[in-house]
Amino acid sequence: MTHRKILIITTNHSSYPGADAVGQARMGYDANTYIIRVPDPVMFPEDFYLNAFDKGIGGIIIMSSGSDCPYEGAYERLSKRVARVYEQMKAKGIAANRLKLTTICTVCRAAFLKEISEMQKAVASV
Amino acid sequence: MEDKIKEEASRDNYRQEPKVGVYVCHCGGNISDIIDVKAVAAALAKYPGVVVAREYAFMCSSNGQDLIADDIKNLGVNRTVVAACSPSLHELTFRGVLQRAGVNPYLHEHINIREQASWVHKADHAGATAKAIKLAQAGVEKVLRKDALNAIRVAAEQRVAVIGGGVAGMRAALSAAGKGLEAVILEKAPRLGGKLLELGKMYPSGEEGPAVAAKLEALVRAEKKITVHTGAGIEFVSGFVGNFVVNFKNPDGRMEQVKAGAIVMATGYEHYKPHNGEFGYGEAANVVTLPEFLALMKKSPAGRLALAGQEIKSLALIHCVGSRQVEGVHKPQADGKVNDYCSRVCCSSALYAANQVKEKYPGVRIYDIYRDIRTYGMQHEEYYDKASKDGVLFLRHNEADQPVVTSDRTGHLVKVKDVLTWGEELELKADLIVLVTGMMPSDISLIRSQMKLPASADRFLQEVHPKLRPVELANSGIFVAGTAQYPMDVPEAMASAGTAAAKAAILLAEPDIPLEPFVAVVDEHKCTGCGLCPAECSYDGALMMTEKNGKKLAQVNPALCKGCGACVAVCPTRAINVAGWTLDQFDAMVAAIAKE
Amino acid sequence: MSDIERIEADALVVGSGIAGLQAALDLADQGYSVAIVEKAPSIGGKMISLSKVFPTLDCASCITTPRMASVSHHPRITTLTYSTVDAIKREGKTFTAAVTRKPRYIDEKECISCKRCEEACPVFLPDEYEQGLGAKKTISIPFTNAIPQLPVMHPEHCIRCGACARACPKDCIEFLQEPAPVEIKAKAVILATGYETTPMTAKKQYGLGNLPNVISPMAAERLLAPHGPYGRVLRPSDGKVPGSIAYVQCAGSRDKSIGVPYCSRVCCMYAIKQAILLSGSLPIADITIYYMDIRAFGKGYEQFYNNARAMGISFVKAKVARVTEDAEHNPVVRIERQEGTSAPEEVKHDLVVLSQGLLPGCDVTKFSLGVELNDFGFVQLSDETISSAVTAGAGVFAAGVVKGPRDIPDSVVDAGSAAMEAAAYIRKL
Repeated sequence: MTHRKILIITTNHSSYPGADAVGQARMGYDANTYIIRVPDPVMFPEDFYLNAFDKGIGGIIIMSSGSDCPYEGAYERLSKRVARVYEQMKAKGIAANRLKLTTICTVCRAAFLKEISEMQKAVASV
Repeated sequence: MEDKIKEEASRDNYRQEPKVGVYVCHCGGNISDIIDVKAVAAALAKYPGVVVAREYAFMCSSNGQDLIADDIKNLGVNRTVVAACSPSLHELTFRGVLQRAGVNPYLHEHINIREQASWVHKADHAGATAKAIKLAQAGVEKVLRKDALNAIRVAAEQRVAVIGGGVAGMRAALSAAGKGLEAVILEKAPRLGGKLLELGKMYPSGEEGPAVAAKLEALVRAEKKITVHTGAGIEFVSGFVGNFVVNFKNPDGRMEQVKAGAIVMATGYEHYKPHNGEFGYGEAANVVTLPEFLALMKKSPAGRLALAGQEIKSLALIHCVGSRQVEGVHKPQADGKVNDYCSRVCCSSALYAANQVKEKYPGVRIYDIYRDIRTYGMQHEEYYDKASKDGVLFLRHNEADQPVVTSDRTGHLVKVKDVLTWGEELELKADLIVLVTGMMPSDISLIRSQMKLPASADRFLQEVHPKLRPVELANSGIFVAGTAQYPMDVPEAMASAGTAAAKAAILLAEPDIPLEPFVAVVDEHKCTGCGLCPAECSYDGALMMTEKNGKKLAQVNPALCKGCGACVAVCPTRAINVAGWTLDQFDAMVAAIAKE
Repeated sequence: MSDIERIEADALVVGSGIAGLQAALDLADQGYSVAIVEKAPSIGGKMISLSKVFPTLDCASCITTPRMASVSHHPRITTLTYSTVDAIKREGKTFTAAVTRKPRYIDEKECISCKRCEEACPVFLPDEYEQGLGAKKTISIPFTNAIPQLPVMHPEHCIRCGACARACPKDCIEFLQEPAPVEIKAKAVILATGYETTPMTAKKQYGLGNLPNVISPMAAERLLAPHGPYGRVLRPSDGKVPGSIAYVQCAGSRDKSIGVPYCSRVCCMYAIKQAILLSGSLPIADITIYYMDIRAFGKGYEQFYNNARAMGISFVKAKVARVTEDAEHNPVVRIERQEGTSAPEEVKHDLVVLSQGLLPGCDVTKFSLGVELNDFGFVQLSDETISSAVTAGAGVFAAGVVKGPRDIPDSVVDAGSAAMEAAAYIRKL
């Protein structure tokens, strides 16, 4: 494999089923993509992302539930946290486009693929 | 609190040495045509912690399930990783296998190599295989760090406290009692019935408001499981799901207490009260609200419409008074906000009243001044039709062009910029102005602040989600019924109250409320008592600082925690985690994935 | 007939739209066993095919799928899809329903939902899930998030080539499958049979469904859905991106000429919602709603309407007398304005949506349960000021649109009270 690995953080509530919908429709994307699922990405501290880059992960896409998020206030907290991660990435010289916070619904197939293809471009230049 | 909440078993890690079984499914070629399942099993067989790795045509089949059960029995497998289709299809199937074989079902990890690998990497067999190996290895790392989980149970009072004894409150109590629960109605007024006691003839049944209330009250009084307290002034509400305490004052001044597993807020509405001078209200004679008009009409002598002795030959209905207000056009309420919502029932009520006037007093001339006629209900359009046929004259204005009422002793002059006659300003004379007023929520600020109940921008109580959880408040165990949530008519309040009772009955279906085990858990050895985490928590009372043996500690109330993990991210010592989804698991998974 | 499948449950729920699903869950979560019968191959009803829903604009699929999954995994709920209720008899305190499982022509127990049959099948059909805007195979899983994920074969279109049978890794294809009778015994019945929209062919003045760019709101939902037939909004006749879209309100409601004098309650709001979604996906398009009265009466609806106005969607108070088309299939709408000027005018648009109303989905009197209907075929309650679910038939309750048009929040709320009435009834038996 030539590409570096992309870590995709999905939610039980919406983006993980969204990733399943892409498979059910037999749409394709590259195999350097590793999907993990959580109740909500708000649980990850800033250093989780930085450590992942240290371990050799090329790019991280956080696919949150956005406004469909079942947890109160979680999305606002998550976006603030990600903003702080960007600051720390900048300080460490990690390109900002290697981390992306986005919202994916249970049937957002096209948006899912678009996020992956954009991240592929970002990690290709790492 | 601690005696109320018990866990079925301790949360301690399995003391046994972890022995992971890995099972790779072919899915009849769906996976194995793309992914080299034998290579995946072979790679996993060598992975630390794994005692056996197998591949099989259909893991979900009964033969496939038997493979796992046999390994649990014969090889002592006590944790499993199944790499197959999406967990949405078969995660529960495999948890069931573990449970039947005597292993805690949460010591299972489901890896998706169909929807998220073989079906999306058709052209890259090697890549898909490498990915499946990495995902399975990450699964092993995760399951090695999993704890046995058990449902948390909260002992609950088998009783529902219904606050408010109007039609919604009575219906909620009746429905709860119908299911066998005790219900206690707490009504502040001296009698049951709420706002209906003041209303005249009502759509859709044509019965008088008090008669509708009386039908429900008769059912309530006949139900042994319902206790009614009228004249009850609520003083203090406390507790949490399963264990609420409502303290109230009796009419004789004595304090009483109701313990309840669930609370139904059926606190109802108030009619919008026009401010002084709003269309002449409170200043000119014969400017009344629709509810006032309905009450007065009951007293009118037969044959002619007269109010306080004065005959009414013409009346003008002005809609949307206190509803659909626009900033800059309307005067704001005491809190500085205008009522920008539609009060839903007033169009139908107004036209139903117009029908009655025309029926009893056909000579009375009626003007109906409106923005949109919202007769949405099944028969409501008939009221509109009938009014038109009976000669009610409709005038329609835009929101910015409010009608203007000037009054003198001879009556009222209403100026309307009528869009139905292409924006011409019409002047009409009327003996009576009837303001079709909307609804505002009752003042429940005391309970709202004590229990931190959420309200929406319209000041009515705010449900968690209009479709997923339409009668539940964010506070577990508290439900909303009737017009405390939003304006609605009697049939709609019946539906809402019945559903509020249904949710209470579901909650109290067993003496112990089982809660999801996926809540935050504090490792007391690691917690330094720094106090950062409670500030992150959005659920009041779910996470607080406490003291144990002189040491400051974070403490989770599992009955209130929703398991979002917002607290996890800020803990400097990783002392707090969501059970089943710990940071250590994810670190190890990422390390396994990242490893070359 | 000793091998007839028999199911016993506390309650039988007819229909698995959002009202039926919610009623079943609200009963099962209280400890009662429930059997659901659904005529379509998937549970989920109309809601699962919608794009986003008002007033919160959450994705309809994201809200419906968890409900569908809870029902299908619930230990106390048995679901029969692609099955019809042929008759229900009451004997004493027990209802006995005669149900037919229609053949899918596959072994439902063995199928692993892999779609290999669908991939192999060479015959395409118009896809009714996509409102005819897309195509599907003669053997196919009805839609992405259908539950159960089982394919259905349409034998009237099958050419018996055997490609599906050869492709199936589990040897599931059964060309000779027959309809199978099922007997369900229950103590209470909840009717949740929902609605159909007024037909496109209802009004001659609106083109009788013959104008390609005059579409139904359900078709518009599919065009707007993130997983819709084209993946974007295109008009049917020529695949052009529409620059001007109009909604004709009350095109099937408040209209005595077609026997629907009542207001259908949802059309104002779905039109406003679709207009908002359209202005999101086609930012430069002109969107017009021709209306009589905007009925935004639910919680948060008036604010939703105000947002739409602020976004530049134009609301025109006008009666639509006629919809025709020009030589390029551009719909031409003849309107009589209620404000400004009275002269009729003709306005050309690229795409027109007829805001259809709601009709009863099923004549439930065919079950002879003593249930009474109102003049329009919806279930009449015994006393709606006492209970929102009790019908004239003892032990028979009604949930959702079967009683008259209502939107999703109202249907969900309604279903809970129907479940509660059924629970109380069963308990007192």
